[in-house]
Amino acid sequence: MVAFAYAGFYHVFDDVIVGGDSMAWWFWPLFMFVFTLLIGIISPVSGVGGGVLFVPLSTIITPFNIDFIRGAGLVMAVTSALSSVPYLIRKGLANIRIFAIIAPVMVITSVVGGWVGLWVTNAYPNGKYLIKVLLGAIILLVFFIMVSSKRVEFPEVKEEDRDSLSKKLNIWGEYYEPDLDAIIEYTTKNTPIAIVTFAVIGFVAGMFGLGAGWANVPVLNMLMGVPIKVATATSMLIITANAPAIGIYLTKGAILPLIVVPSILGITIGARIGAKVAEIIKPKFVRWLVLAILFIAGVLNIIKGLQGMHVIPPILPGV
Amino acid sequence: MGKNEREIRVDEMGLAFAKTMMIFTVIGIVLMVLPAIAYFMGINQYVPLTEAHKYWRLSANDFWLNVTGRTVTGYSWIFDHLDKTDCLSMIGVLLLMITPLLSMLAAVVKAEDRTYRVLLLIAALEFIASILVKSLVAAASGAKKVVKK
Repeated sequence: MVAFAYAGFYHVFDDVIVGGDSMAWWFWPLFMFVFTLLIGIISPVSGVGGGVLFVPLSTIITPFNIDFIRGAGLVMAVTSALSSVPYLIRKGLANIRIFAIIAPVMVITSVVGGWVGLWVTNAYPNGKYLIKVLLGAIILLVFFIMVSSKRVEFPEVKEEDRDSLSKKLNIWGEYYEPDLDAIIEYTTKNTPIAIVTFAVIGFVAGMFGLGAGWANVPVLNMLMGVPIKVATATSMLIITANAPAIGIYLTKGAILPLIVVPSILGITIGARIGAKVAEIIKPKFVRWLVLAILFIAGVLNIIKGLQGMHVIPPILPGV
Repeated sequence: MGKNEREIRVDEMGLAFAKTMMIFTVIGIVLMVLPAIAYFMGINQYVPLTEAHKYWRLSANDFWLNVTGRTVTGYSWIFDHLDKTDCLSMIGVLLLMITPLLSMLAAVVKAEDRTYRVLLLIAALEFIASILVKSLVAAASGAKKVVKK
């Protein structure tokens, strides 16, 4: 169903913008501003980086080459995180203690993943499709686990559930939950396993040039036991550690102000609105939004992988 | 504000991180947007808008080959043309790229707990290494493509 919707969407826009070059040049910067404003609102609410939504949709809708779209997508994802994180930290939603433990691991494994990814692409050109299928399967697995689990909005971590590392590093936080009109205090469990999991996520994200929001949120929420709002906000904080990858696109000349500037303005304004929405929105809605994004990402990855391996006929464009 | 809302306790290092990130994000966006406005107005462009419009469907390598006659493989296209508004706009992007690093360093200074100070310092050093490695990889892969052509 997702594939048909995706393909139908593509064909509608294909008819509208056949040879989008025929449109006046100013149309596309203006379009990018409005488009990214909407993505900016969704991003902090869901904890999934703006780039994850921006890149596949822009590939379908706009006439720009994928190089420029990826470059703009990365700058946008990082900037939307940079714009919303200060507010989320001050509100107690994004937790710097968790970031300080995860960032040293994820930064290094994403660099190693990037190296391995380049090696795999050069040595086995079709291998990336198989791993896309596996990645899609993992995302769907996470989706089904989240669907079947209960009380993930406010997971309870009892004192006896806390691991020694969590106690030793005194990982804690608190935020005001308007839905309950109460201050929620939280801590973490399973910290050593979570560190290993984040190392793997960093490796996979670096290897395939993906954002890591899709994986950060479930690990923080379900494995470490932090409230869903804290998980989505801290995921945004972790996304800022992806900023060095901007250097790849700058040194290739794949960042053009014509595309990036309207997109950044849109995402920045949208993210500020989104950060406020994230504070007041019902946790249940956030959970379902994250689930919907995970499901779509999982299905699209599997289809794209199978399509690349020629197991199924081409359904999705831009592969 | 709800009746049960009180002042939320947040780490000093978190507040320093947030303040630094907010300041440099704003400066980065301003440094990016102001020259871009001049660029959109047609002032002193390195890549004319009509040329960009003509070739934006091509890969980054082919785009630069068609527009300037050569590919881009490093930061020199920015720093060699800082008098051009589109290149000057990229300084803002560079600042946004290093903003998390500056924020981590600010948090290191404010961290009361020695363990967190060390962890954030390691993350900052890895961040610097990551910028260098990723930029070198991109430059190397770009150079290969030029040789193939």
